Amino acid sequence: SPAHISNGSVSTVQVSVLLPECSSAPSHLDSVLNNFSSFYLIKKLPVYELLDRHFLETAVYHGAVFGLSYRTRIDEDNCVALMPNGHLTLSLDKDSFEILGFEGKPSRFKHRTATRFVVSVDLTDSSMAPGRRSYLRLLTSLKSRLQLQTDFLLSHHPVLCSLGGGASIQPLLSRCDWSQHRPEVNCRVLTNLPCPAPLSCDPHSFLEWLGAVDAGISCENSSSSFLSSFVCPEPNTMHRHALSVSVSGLLLPHDIHRLLQELRRYVEQPRLASWVSMTVRGFADSPVSCSNHEHGFLRGGENFYTLMMFHDHTYQLHLAMGAHDVCPP
Amino acid sequence: LPGVIHHPLVSLQSSFKAKAFTEAFLKNSIQQPRRHDLQNMLSHKAVILGYGRPKKERRKSAKARGLNARQKRELKVFQINPEHQRYELFLPLHELWRQYIIDLCGGLKATSNPQVVQQKLLKADFHGAILTVVRSKCPSYVGTSGILVQEFKHVFKIITRDDKLKVIPKRNSVFAVEINGFVSHIYGSKFEYRASERAAKKFKLKGTIDL
Repeated sequence: SPAHISNGSVSTVQVSVLLPECSSAPSHLDSVLNNFSSFYLIKKLPVYELLDRHFLETAVYHGAVFGLSYRTRIDEDNCVALMPNGHLTLSLDKDSFEILGFEGKPSRFKHRTATRFVVSVDLTDSSMAPGRRSYLRLLTSLKSRLQLQTDFLLSHHPVLCSLGGGASIQPLLSRCDWSQHRPEVNCRVLTNLPCPAPLSCDPHSFLEWLGAVDAGISCENSSSSFLSSFVCPEPNTMHRHALSVSVSGLLLPHDIHRLLQELRRYVEQPRLASWVSMTVRGFADSPVSCSNHEHGFLRGGENFYTLMMFHDHTYQLHLAMGAHDVCPP
Repeated sequence: LPGVIHHPLVSLQSSFKAKAFTEAFLKNSIQQPRRHDLQNMLSHKAVILGYGRPKKERRKSAKARGLNARQKRELKVFQINPEHQRYELFLPLHELWRQYIIDLCGGLKATSNPQVVQQKLLKADFHGAILTVVRSKCPSYVGTSGILVQEFKHVFKIITRDDKLKVIPKRNSVFAVEINGFVSHIYGSKFEYRASERAAKKFKLKGTIDL
């Protein structure tokens, strides 16, 4: 079900919605789109702060935080990801892993000699409770052996935190250099858009068309333009308007879930167009992909899914992964 | 050759008669092989006895042969008893080692050239040094620190602060030795020689020093 997918997806950077035959978003949808939670950008966060006892007890154990290292490339630098389910994932290069001295596995995506290692820790497990041996070992490793510091994007669920509001992460933030950001919302109204009939054409070409619309590539295939010879798949109908909205930033799963519910309500009402599409894209450089498996970057770090919802309560799900990814079952 | 037959009836007559009688009797009673000339064989033969020189007493070799590996294991010479496995007991050894290294490197002042110090350390003995594992292919070795008790060809035996004797293989690990502010990193993979052999070894740059 769509709910299951959106709850599993974590490291989201952008959501794009396409509403055909629509010139302006209805008010409910608009309010949802504009009320995505804000997130924090922390500069040079020492990673051992994520193991702080207070932070763990008030935020991590309740599944309320989600964080990702910012501007670290998955195939070059060390990346850190903190998932709402309490898993801390460090994707390290060989030297850092050898200096750190904590158990980890070589990355699945390298051949022969391992050059990348993944340390995956479940912070909610009893062996990682503060004071236990593994917890102390990881803490000393991160404090004294490998002083890992990255820019970090942190987002927290306002309701799930036990202390309410931002109180649980305030102590952590107060020790660091932080700034708050809101997800960016972009609205475009497209006119005279040729639209293929969704169920009649091949899913790959439909996905390509969606991507083209999102990127603003015209489907005209005029002889004067050499950049693109893309044409809209047949059979197509011409829509007078369409609304394309995209929200970018560090987005929480529960916000995406709300958007999903709102879109379902929208598409169930009788309208001119019978479908709506939502594309959720993950970070290209995240150590963990949409399906909580290891993610890598070969020639492109795409991991996204597209959900097509129809008027008759059916939906189509397209999942796209890069070459260095594990497909979910 | 037949021996002389003592016949009870032969009495002592004159020697000439006896001799003639003996010869005639022998001739009659024994086979006469034509090939052998009995007369020649019996007379004028010097019998050579065993050749002996006065023997010199072979001295026991002055140097001890040493024990072979089996005897060493039986006698357990190289094993330390649990009651002796205490960190405090080895601290004086560490002090001795520090003095030795300082003397070896000619003072170890702040202005000493690190290259020279490193060269000297390569040939030095490390028994009594405080080693710390800084990097290792196996994460659980990283961070172990203690005084080196025994150095074998492929392993270091160190005793940690909590009185535990740990055996750390040299391969795929980097050890840090610290004296007077000089920290020296030793790549264990290149150090797999017995301490005695290492003193004479010339270290060449071969391959990578990546673990």
